[in-house]
Amino acid sequence: MPVSASAIYFLNLRGDVLINRLYRDDVGGNMVDAFRTHIMQTKELGTCPVRQIGGCSFFYMRISNVYIVIVVSSNANVACAFKFVVEAVALFKSYFGGSFDEDAIRNNFVLIYELLDEIMDFGYPQNLSPEILKLYITQEGVRSPFSSKPTDKPVPNATLQVTGAVGWRREGLVYKKNEVFLDIVESVNLLMSSKGSVLRCDVTGKILMKCFLSGMPDLKLGLNDKIGLEKESQLKSRPNKSGKTIELDDVTFHQCVNLTRFNSEKTVSFVPPDGEFELMKYRITEGVNLPFRVLPTIKELGRTRMEVNVKVKSVFGAKMFALGVVIKIPVPKQTAKTSFQVTSGRAKYNASIDCLVWKIRKFPGQTEPTLSAEVELISTMAEKKSWTRPPIQMEFQVPMFTASGLRVRFLKVWEKSGYNTVEWVRYITKAGSYEIRC
Amino acid sequence: ILTPVCLTHLLCRIKEFSEWAQCLVLDLVSKYVPSDSNEIFDVMNLLEDRLQHANGAVVLATTKVFLHMTLSMNDVHQQVYERIKAPLLTLVSSGSPEQSYAVLSHLHLLVVRAPYLFSSDYKHFYCQYNEPSYVKKLKLDMLTAVANESNTYEIVTELCEYVANVDVPIARESVRAVGKIALQQYDVNAIVDRLLQFLEMEKDYVTAETLVLVKDLLRKYPQWSQDCIAVVGNISSKNVQELKAKAALIWMLGEYSQDMLDAPYILESLIDNWDDEHSAEVRLHLLTAVVKCFFRRPPETQKALGAALAAGLADSHQDVHDRALFYYRLLQYDVSAAERVVNPPKQAVSVFADYQSSEIKDRIFDEFNSLSVVYQKPSYMFTDKEHRGAFELSEEIGSLSVGTESMDIAIPAQRVEANDNDLLLSTSEKEESRVPSNNGSAYNAPSVSLATLDTQSELISPLSSLPSYAPNPTLVIDDLLGLDLPSSSAPAPARSPSPPPLKLNAKATMDPSTFQRKWGQLPLSLSKECSINPQGVAALTTPQVLLRHMQSHSIHCIASGGKSPHYKFFFFAQDTEEPVSYYLMECIINTSSAKAQLKIKADDKNTSAAFSTLFQSALSKFGMS
Repeated sequence: MPVSASAIYFLNLRGDVLINRLYRDDVGGNMVDAFRTHIMQTKELGTCPVRQIGGCSFFYMRISNVYIVIVVSSNANVACAFKFVVEAVALFKSYFGGSFDEDAIRNNFVLIYELLDEIMDFGYPQNLSPEILKLYITQEGVRSPFSSKPTDKPVPNATLQVTGAVGWRREGLVYKKNEVFLDIVESVNLLMSSKGSVLRCDVTGKILMKCFLSGMPDLKLGLNDKIGLEKESQLKSRPNKSGKTIELDDVTFHQCVNLTRFNSEKTVSFVPPDGEFELMKYRITEGVNLPFRVLPTIKELGRTRMEVNVKVKSVFGAKMFALGVVIKIPVPKQTAKTSFQVTSGRAKYNASIDCLVWKIRKFPGQTEPTLSAEVELISTMAEKKSWTRPPIQMEFQVPMFTASGLRVRFLKVWEKSGYNTVEWVRYITKAGSYEIRC
Repeated sequence: ILTPVCLTHLLCRIKEFSEWAQCLVLDLVSKYVPSDSNEIFDVMNLLEDRLQHANGAVVLATTKVFLHMTLSMNDVHQQVYERIKAPLLTLVSSGSPEQSYAVLSHLHLLVVRAPYLFSSDYKHFYCQYNEPSYVKKLKLDMLTAVANESNTYEIVTELCEYVANVDVPIARESVRAVGKIALQQYDVNAIVDRLLQFLEMEKDYVTAETLVLVKDLLRKYPQWSQDCIAVVGNISSKNVQELKAKAALIWMLGEYSQDMLDAPYILESLIDNWDDEHSAEVRLHLLTAVVKCFFRRPPETQKALGAALAAGLADSHQDVHDRALFYYRLLQYDVSAAERVVNPPKQAVSVFADYQSSEIKDRIFDEFNSLSVVYQKPSYMFTDKEHRGAFELSEEIGSLSVGTESMDIAIPAQRVEANDNDLLLSTSEKEESRVPSNNGSAYNAPSVSLATLDTQSELISPLSSLPSYAPNPTLVIDDLLGLDLPSSSAPAPARSPSPPPLKLNAKATMDPSTFQRKWGQLPLSLSKECSINPQGVAALTTPQVLLRHMQSHSIHCIASGGKSPHYKFFFFAQDTEEPVSYYLMECIINTSSAKAQLKIKADDKNTSAAFSTLFQSALSKFGMS
């Protein structure tokens, strides 16, 4: 059976070992030296996250200023190993109160060792869910003194967690006010050619939930996706209501969702974990509403001057607005002087990334601000090397808008005590990699 | 291992396992061989919802089960591809770049296996500007694989965008990708134009890559020569520095010298700089190109040809020298014959050799969801010691200090005995093995090999500097004859069929280089790990203690080294029976963890088991078991 790890190392950027844990003795204790000399101190760093040196394979990931390295000597399961690292980091973050970096590790040696013992046995990952582990490892991470103190929670019966069918939720939760928060977060990935045709466009969305519900509630979520609606109209023999239906390319669910029921009835029903979690992820490629259109014209006037005109058009409803819009327009390295005219927001030249950065804090729908800039270049000897134009990149957030058009139709909460719940639903669309070639 | 009852039990309860345990269960299930198609469908129905799991590792493990179960059913296998496509594409686009790399590697494997099933999804493999290069590279490979008549135009247009990329390796990779697509397509018209545009971009690395590709393209589609040559002719050879590109350019100059006006003069200037050309490959190409050019345009090339042949004959590189001599004599012998040899009518290459055999690809597919897929080679290639190369061992021996204990063992009398015995052996062996004449030198091996061994083993000088020390001639002869096991191939009429109780020679000899060679050649007959009891650890303050102990059991040390807590020993022992056979051992001891690793290799397989017990009993008296 393929293992996931023989040893795990946490290194800082200089290559010093912060913490290590050997799970199997098929790798030598000094293998990390090989990693340091053959990968960290060479140009190899960052060229490939899986490398073999001698008889050992190294999988590494950089997270803030820490390298997490997994060493194996056998034919391991890579996907599982990387997933394990990602989950482990999420776990550490939840213990440390949000941040994971060299300082956090140094402050929490004992805790990390304890966690590392718990989350992997003999190279096989074990339960990594923070909610459950916090029941056994009650030690708290050292937080910075300014963050708020966590409220004390009663330690409930732990044995149920291991044996019970509902591994992600403990029994006997009581809340005075029963609330559910549901966020649909979509990120739009776009690749547009210089001629304005869409080369590639998709939306990856996730539904995040925050539950403060008493007891063991059963939740049912209805979306306006095509399959779900069709199935429903079949079941209730009711004609399909007019309106947009969304075709989801692919969906994945949190382990709490009853997948058998999703396959037979196409409804998302689940017993939620307590607190925050990611209920589902989906991907959509058809019928994406792009929130912004970017129309760039970049003219090179001779060898030392450039004219940049960019028009950005917001195509969502006039009552909505986008926040934190940043448009990065690349310019050549040898840029000397820039002058701008913008109809909205602010623009400046950022030499470290060779971009004109145009920021618009609040961007209403159905408007089209423009930027026109003149760029003066230093004339260089190496004139032959023509400038390779990197794409224009864009960042934004549009609240209450979904690029896919996905909507929550209902969210039903059922619990045997029959309490009333308050449901909150939010939508937000963000830019994933929004690139326009010019 | 897995019975149907056990299987259904596991699968029906799969939801009760944690996500990580599910991965392990699924991996186990993928090893199960279903008895009929109904069982296959049952398993797949039970597992289908796992493809919707949020944990990518579960999805990949499920994918493996599906793919392996349906291998025998072609049409279902294809449906499986369709079914798993969407989940895998989702995994690629979510998560960290490292995770998507792991998934992409698997997707890459599937795309290469069944490109036609992915040909409509090519847009998913478009690269983003900020993606790390390892992801981009895989995507480029996949774009190349899925290109067919319907999507070539879009894919090549996209690839051309990457050629202008800042990231030089990716730009190169993109040019190569365009070339590969050109080589696998029928309608290459548009692609050739694009490739030629690359040459006009005037970036050194793009030009270099493109030249290599244009060369391959011309070998497959000679009909495009007119268009290509017109552009290639404009490239100044001074701007091309990379070896492969230079070789490609020279090849084209030779092959199409009749179409390129100044081909002879370019070649001539290249020959003038013969001495500055460091690569033998380029010089070889240059020679051939000049000869080819000579047959097309004799008057203009004659001078260059003379200069090239003269330079070639004076060349220090053997191949270049030989080829120059060959052309020279060929031209001298008969010019028309030479033309037939050098300039035969070209046949277009229809298929370029695939560098990976389908057998290897199948092996990788069998090991789906593991490192093999990422490395694109089956696991034995990177986990087995044998395939990692022999250099590790020789380095180890070289770096160890030589055990002083074995120095006083060499006793001349005993060696004479061995020599005599060898003469007998070699005469009896002569009949069967004296075929090539150079074998004759093997029989005076002792003197010859001693000299060579001396020079070889400078690292281990304490031993080889002893004048009385000579290698066992048997080994040398057999070595030259390429025989692996001397005792099994040598006739031994006196020997009884059942092996007599093993007795070791208390005064055995062996020199380090023989040891090293034998260690490399012999198969491993035993590998064992054992633990050392506290007394043993305490006694092992210096390596010498163990050496003396082993010597009392007629097992000698050839090299030892290391400092606390890691020690390493190489031992050998010799049989008293005729013919002499050797046993070699490696023993790695870690006193802090009280563990020892043993490896035994033996000349004679029949007695190796007997020896192993003897060796282990000797060790057990030292506290290792």
